[in-house]
Amino acid sequence: MRRPHTVRRENLIRVTSGLCAASGLFSLVAVLGVMFVFAWPSILFNGWHFLWGIPWSTGNLYGTALVTHNGVQAPQGAQYGMLVFLAGTLLTSLIALVVAVPVSLSVAVFLTEVAPPRLSGVAGALVELLAGVPSVVFGLWGVEVVAPLLRRGPEHFLVRTLGFIPWFAGPVGTGVGLLSAGLVLAVMIIPIIAAISRDVLARVPRDLKEQGLALGITRWELVRFILLPHAKSGIVAAVVLGLGRAMGETMAVLMVSGSAVNILPRNIYSPVGTMAANIVSLLDSAMSDSTGMAVHALAELSLALFVITLVVNLLVPVVTRGVSLITGTLPGWGGRAVER
Amino acid sequence: MAKPKPWKFLAGMAAALVLVLALAGCGGPAPSNSGVSLLETGSTLLYPLFNLWVPDYTAKNPGVKITTQSTGSGTGQAQAVNGAAQLGASDAYLSDAQMQKTPGMLNIPLAISAQQINYNLPGVTGLKLSGPVLAKIYSQSTYWDDPDIARLNPGVKLPHEKIIPIHRSDGSGDTFIFTQYLSFSTPSWKDGPGFGTNVSWPAVPEAIGAKGNDGMVSALEQNKYSIAYVGISWLAQATKAGLGEALLQNRDGNFVLPTADTIKAAADALFDKTPKDERISLIFAPGAQSYPIINYEYVIVKQKQPDADTAKAIKDFLTWGLDPNNGGAASYLDKVHFQPLPASIVKLSQDQINSIGS
Repeated sequence: MRRPHTVRRENLIRVTSGLCAASGLFSLVAVLGVMFVFAWPSILFNGWHFLWGIPWSTGNLYGTALVTHNGVQAPQGAQYGMLVFLAGTLLTSLIALVVAVPVSLSVAVFLTEVAPPRLSGVAGALVELLAGVPSVVFGLWGVEVVAPLLRRGPEHFLVRTLGFIPWFAGPVGTGVGLLSAGLVLAVMIIPIIAAISRDVLARVPRDLKEQGLALGITRWELVRFILLPHAKSGIVAAVVLGLGRAMGETMAVLMVSGSAVNILPRNIYSPVGTMAANIVSLLDSAMSDSTGMAVHALAELSLALFVITLVVNLLVPVVTRGVSLITGTLPGWGGRAVER
Repeated sequence: MAKPKPWKFLAGMAAALVLVLALAGCGGPAPSNSGVSLLETGSTLLYPLFNLWVPDYTAKNPGVKITTQSTGSGTGQAQAVNGAAQLGASDAYLSDAQMQKTPGMLNIPLAISAQQINYNLPGVTGLKLSGPVLAKIYSQSTYWDDPDIARLNPGVKLPHEKIIPIHRSDGSGDTFIFTQYLSFSTPSWKDGPGFGTNVSWPAVPEAIGAKGNDGMVSALEQNKYSIAYVGISWLAQATKAGLGEALLQNRDGNFVLPTADTIKAAADALFDKTPKDERISLIFAPGAQSYPIINYEYVIVKQKQPDADTAKAIKDFLTWGLDPNNGGAASYLDKVHFQPLPASIVKLSQDQINSIGS
């Protein structure tokens, strides 16, 4: 007698959960679609030049002369290129990853393998706590502490020691710029990468580790040849999550990047502007553009940022599989390393 | 039992419709007899003034409810134009292009503001600068002992260090008036970046952007050999931080600091030229004593309001704000470092306010 009821409930669950799952995809497509429509006049006006152009100018908003290109109007002198901001986003994220990945992995290994359980619990909780700190706090710390500190000594030290590498050569700048933005971002993404990596490492089967230890391998060999290969896919996923956060971060970067426009960075001490930070800082004045082109151009910039983030996330499975092929472990997902 | 109940459905729809209408009504003035509500949004510089005005005004006029928002001049302009806000606060008047697109917008000056040029150059006080020299500093890498700077400052010992020009990274009325000073005094700047609340800054490797006037002052403080334009309300902080304040060359060739007298001189000098719609730049005014970077602080209002109650509420509030014995009193303006409008300009603004109707 209860059977039809159960079936109905079963169907209900199937339909609801299916709808919920589809809503993710639906909102993704909807956001992409809306942004595309909103950016369309800018896409028409700027063409492919948007992708590699350096100048970003709303044109003469207080003149009455308009130019028309591909049927869309903009104030005279308007031209939009995102290369400066694209470079800023990619380079700050790259520096953040270079700094954050080794640190995060060390933290994760320490927490799972080295620290006594009680310390591990406390330290782990602290790392997770760090992930919850609002980004404006990091920004303030960056502009008041990191930037002045970098300017005082470390930048000159880098020039002296690594100056033979083109991007490390002087002249040093004001402290705000690529390096400080990268470092602040690194501190922001370390908790994310470390916390996920720790969970992944903790799930490496115990007997595997014990087998290794029984063979008399050192702790370093245990990490290098058993733990990391086994947890690789999960760690890559953690790194990609961190990268996503770094590329989308707005407020903290806005405060320490030096907001460069129209100029590409010369070295790692140069001021930069990133896509996310630039959208925030230019939106208000863009609204004075009576043709609306300035806002459409910012929409195209958001669209580009969205697409880049999407591509990075879609690349994870590919990268993970590639890593697995090289190291010989089987691919796994979401930190579930598949046993051989 | 499972028969559909159309009246229930209809009742639900009606309830939803009422709810939607009520919500839609929130944006505009409430038509009920409980009073009129106005929304002010825009300039972060005018925001503190409105916040001083509104409690005092609404205490005397309980029928009006005024909400204030600090969003930025561009937002103030846009929302006044599209009707999302009744009062759009802006450091800049609407452009000709905007006026043509949406006729019937009023640009009403409420007060006068100014801007100083601060620099971080230990041991150097009273530095003299001109528009063309500032345009050069913001256009290309320049040393402090550049011949053009040295010529204006005979006898001053200038270091051979590169200047760090700081500009606002966010859209700002301060950028608007600073770039107007450069445009009006330097043809090459006018043909290049021009002026606006945000301009396409020339590629100077040393240049950095800072957010807000607080960011400008702290960037100046942190960077020796830097220079920046800062709103006059931050003069006290800048002086306390040990920053220098530059004397600027005005149209007559004299070097002046922003004081109540030099600001008033500039406003008076341009009174005859002020058109009825009051959309005029006060930058680089003639006159021996005129300070070159001052501007009107505007409230942007639609001349034709949707109903008589709203029109009256706006007129009453702005009239009160403009009145030198009420909102225009020194007790309000001093707190936010604004200068009062000359009596003649008060009259022009009042004429514009009187033209608001429904």
